Amino acid sequence: MIQNAWLIPVFPLIAFLILLFFGRFLKEKASYVGIAALALSFIVSVLVLFERIGGETYKFVIEWITFGESAITMGYEVTALNAMMLIVVTLVSLVVHIFSREYMHDDNRIHVFYSYLGLFSFSMLGLVLAPNVLQLFIFWELVGLCSFLLVGFWYFKPEAAAAAKKAFLTTRIGDVGLLLGLVILFNQTGSFDYGVIYAAVENGLINDTLITATALLIFLGAVGKSAQFPLHVWLPDAMEGPTPVSALIHAATMVAAGVYLVGVMYPLFLASSTAMTVVAYTGAITAFFAATMALVMTDIKRVLAYSTISQLGFMILALGTAGYVAGLFHLMTHAFFKALLFLGAGSVIFAVHHRQDIRDMGGLWSKMKITSVTFLIGALAIAGVFPLAGFWSKEEILASALLNGDGFLFAIALITAFMTAFYMFRLFFKTFTGEYRGGDHDDPHADDPQVDAYGAADVAEADNPRDDSMDKEAHVPPAEDHDHHHSPEENSGFMTLPLIVLASLAVVAGLVNLPFMGHPLEGFLTEGLNLGAQPHGALWLAILSLVVAGSGIALAWAMYYKGAIAEDFFAKKAPGVHNLLLNKYYLDEIYTAVFVRPTVAIGRFFWEMDKSIVDGIVNLIGRSTSSTGRSFGRRHNGQLQTYGLVSILGGIVVIALAFVLRGYFG
Amino acid sequence: MTAFDANWSLMTPEIVLAALALLVFTIDFMTGIHGKKPFIGRLSVLSLLVTAVLVVVTNSTSGSIAEVFVVDPFAMVFKLIILIGVAMVILISMNFLDRERNAEVYQGEYYSIMLFAALGAMIMVSSADLITLFIGLEILSISSYVLAGFKKYSRPSTEAAIKYVVLGGTASAFILYGMSFLYGLTGSTSLLEIGQAVPMLFEEYTFVVMMSFLFMLAGFGFKISIVPFHMWAPDVYEGAPTPVTAFLSVVSKLAGFGIILRVFFLGFGGVFQEWAFIIAVIAAITMIAGNFIALTQTNVKRLMAYSGIAQAGYLLVPVATVIGDVGINMIVFYSVAYLMMTLGAFAVITLVTEDTGTSDLSSFAGLYQRAPYLAIAMTVFLVSLAGLPLTAGFIGKAYIFFGAVAGEMLWLAIIMIVTSVISFFYYFGFIKQMFMTDPRPNDKELAVSGSMQTVVTVSLAVTVILGILPGLVLDIFNTFNWMAFF
Repeated sequence: MIQNAWLIPVFPLIAFLILLFFGRFLKEKASYVGIAALALSFIVSVLVLFERIGGETYKFVIEWITFGESAITMGYEVTALNAMMLIVVTLVSLVVHIFSREYMHDDNRIHVFYSYLGLFSFSMLGLVLAPNVLQLFIFWELVGLCSFLLVGFWYFKPEAAAAAKKAFLTTRIGDVGLLLGLVILFNQTGSFDYGVIYAAVENGLINDTLITATALLIFLGAVGKSAQFPLHVWLPDAMEGPTPVSALIHAATMVAAGVYLVGVMYPLFLASSTAMTVVAYTGAITAFFAATMALVMTDIKRVLAYSTISQLGFMILALGTAGYVAGLFHLMTHAFFKALLFLGAGSVIFAVHHRQDIRDMGGLWSKMKITSVTFLIGALAIAGVFPLAGFWSKEEILASALLNGDGFLFAIALITAFMTAFYMFRLFFKTFTGEYRGGDHDDPHADDPQVDAYGAADVAEADNPRDDSMDKEAHVPPAEDHDHHHSPEENSGFMTLPLIVLASLAVVAGLVNLPFMGHPLEGFLTEGLNLGAQPHGALWLAILSLVVAGSGIALAWAMYYKGAIAEDFFAKKAPGVHNLLLNKYYLDEIYTAVFVRPTVAIGRFFWEMDKSIVDGIVNLIGRSTSSTGRSFGRRHNGQLQTYGLVSILGGIVVIALAFVLRGYFG
Repeated sequence: MTAFDANWSLMTPEIVLAALALLVFTIDFMTGIHGKKPFIGRLSVLSLLVTAVLVVVTNSTSGSIAEVFVVDPFAMVFKLIILIGVAMVILISMNFLDRERNAEVYQGEYYSIMLFAALGAMIMVSSADLITLFIGLEILSISSYVLAGFKKYSRPSTEAAIKYVVLGGTASAFILYGMSFLYGLTGSTSLLEIGQAVPMLFEEYTFVVMMSFLFMLAGFGFKISIVPFHMWAPDVYEGAPTPVTAFLSVVSKLAGFGIILRVFFLGFGGVFQEWAFIIAVIAAITMIAGNFIALTQTNVKRLMAYSGIAQAGYLLVPVATVIGDVGINMIVFYSVAYLMMTLGAFAVITLVTEDTGTSDLSSFAGLYQRAPYLAIAMTVFLVSLAGLPLTAGFIGKAYIFFGAVAGEMLWLAIIMIVTSVISFFYYFGFIKQMFMTDPRPNDKELAVSGSMQTVVTVSLAVTVILGILPGLVLDIFNTFNWMAFF
């Protein structure tokens, strides 16, 4: 079966093509096409994984193009790492496909939605199967494009359109680095093949400066894609997309591609201690800052978005401290429990008529049994409670930070773990316990269609009246006109089955790398790779991490369930910090001021040069010659002589500069 | 060797095209000067395709006429680019001229002058002699001046023509002046002889040789609109009839690159190291200025002018970094990609701006609802111009980028890729209008004529196919000894 691994991305591609051409006629039946395709992909992935476990890496390539003397190949490769990734991607994609059938049921563009999902699954699987970094880059861009399409799926919401653009353009900044890095590698090694690049690094064919430079450039790509500081700003906004998309793309798969990239290029990173340090600190800083922002957000999806950024930071931190298996293990477990949490959030949002503000929720425990229990499992898993999946993988990351990092990294990781437990349980208690605050009577926003349509959105924006979007009322996404006046109740099996599947995985996924079973995943992933010993923590570390998680949960319990500490206790104590967090450290504003405005200003500057400065020069020099100018040009438009003169002046300047610079006068 | 001994059959395509252009002219006279003449348009397209076939057939006997007019793979590929480009421009024009508001244009003349422009460009890329080259250049240029002013009752159009003729004349003067230095030094107008003499002459007459080079660079730079010789482009592009804008930004520009390669690689190839850096600096400035200014534009035709300036900057990168066959590979591949994505975009632009009567960016509002196929095709063209994977534009740009890195001009490669990212912003402006804005109240579903459909579909197919299977043409290019005659 491993020879037929190419089938895995092809099924979703076929689904995409079918829906592209016949989707209009299928309407909501489009979902079955997508589900069937992904089910097939998943089955093949499982078969491939089993074959890979007992066997060897399989690689198939054909020559694509020749650039100069180097042939560039295209094909596919099944390694241990990507066999694992195939399972993660196809499984999460499959459950998201199933979940969306109900979630997007009332949207009359549901076939378009499924076609995009198909295209995304194809691209993501293509990325994973790529045997060389150029092919990876091509699919890398393609998943970015799909993310753009899906974030902007409800493009008639101005926020969604803006978020889609922001997501795409921000990640492009990282892609500049990635492309540059891989072209330099190509220039050094004559190949994009992972194997050739590994060998070149190991045999010292590339000098140290270039190794560091290319590793950092490639890492820049990962920073953009995996929403690491300082390029993380696009991910929270990307929550404007439909929730199943957030689960699939912005939690489990695409955003993990940056981590995967560092994973596949690991020998390059290992060869440069500078690069490793940068990676570790970027991860730690991201994990910490994102977690702080998650503490105060009130939009259920934004809390999860910052949590995702934070957890991706954990993975990057692990990779940066030589915890290759720890980082990738966490990638896998996180994919399951974060997809679970997002789909759980989707289930909640769907039940409370598309509100997203946790202040309007509460008391859902008794109303939505399956959603509540599965969400709790997800929350326990991400908090790192024994014996759920997150416990095992997070413990390895802590071990990695402690043993190969330094005290600072370890401390940051511990604090972040504490915050993780706290904000997750803040979210859980606010949403599922207490009284339901979203009833039509007591909800102050109940009659405001804007809040209904768009969800109450995040706090930073909730204070501003959404006048800018008022005229868009007519475009309320159809899915959101769902039975308006009923109290929330559990959703149908299409939505709960995926939750159950993912919850089971959130419980058991950690078993694949159990310490007392000899770390089977570690053996699988590191076989044949020269990565050195993987760090493992002692028992006290496991207990410490449990204590940290437990105290985070306890604090949340005291504040949001028991009420022993007032909810706004910290906000009142340190209003400045609270505000800073609510406004996301003002990074959006800073970026606008530092990058966006100057870019436009430079454009205007050049344009003004074209138009007016040049005009001024001409007026100065050319007044005496304007008699000829008056004969035709100037009467209609004063620009003609200007252009002529500038062309000539330009010519003279170029000539003069060239001569001065190159010294041709001598 | 007298003129009669020469192998005139090498010139068959040009002779046939000249005859067909005259035939089009004559038929136009016979059918009265006014009115719609779609059949002349079709005849013109047919003429170009026949010529294209002849170009391929003739190439099997590569050689030259007295080392003045050469037939080699380089000439063949550029001629095919020119002929296909002009054929597509004529298909776009047929739709354009059908409209009531463009009834003032004398259609027969328009088409035959288009054919003469193609003829001039063909002679230009086939010449290995400064005089022939200049004659080809002038046939192309003068035809272009006339075409820019074809809407003679429209003030922007006539203004565009006047600006173009005056500034174009200046550029020609630059070129001639530069050529005169070479002639003075070598006593020859043959690029072959000049190329042999230049390295030695450079030692002794550095100043004069570089003067000659820089004057020609300024003149050619005008034709391909690179900074600082670009100022005419936005005004002329905006004023000229839209299909003529398409012609100027694609056919005229690529033909200009054709002669730049001939003259610089053959005539000055021996002193490549001396001028590569100058070209690199100009390429950098062109990419920066073109992309940044495009950010501020809201008129579609002006925006495309600045985008075209930026694209010329990308095309100039291999001229500065990789000399010889590989460099030509890169330029030719990107030229093919540029031809298709730009003409495809201009076909859509023509349709939309003519339909809405404005060339403001807002004319694209809600295009996806008015004409989904056009909107999707346009997106592919824009994405390709911006250089995203799975399009011809990506492969072309990546190839050039590899060359710049391999040629040890990392800074130029970085400028190239960073300015490409900036270009996303303005290309996204289109996409946002098309997909994320509602159509303006009076805009109905957009009718697409057969000729337009052809152009859009062909451009789309080639842009995507070359993005996925670039080997289809790159493998052929790799076998070429481009300037085989030498």
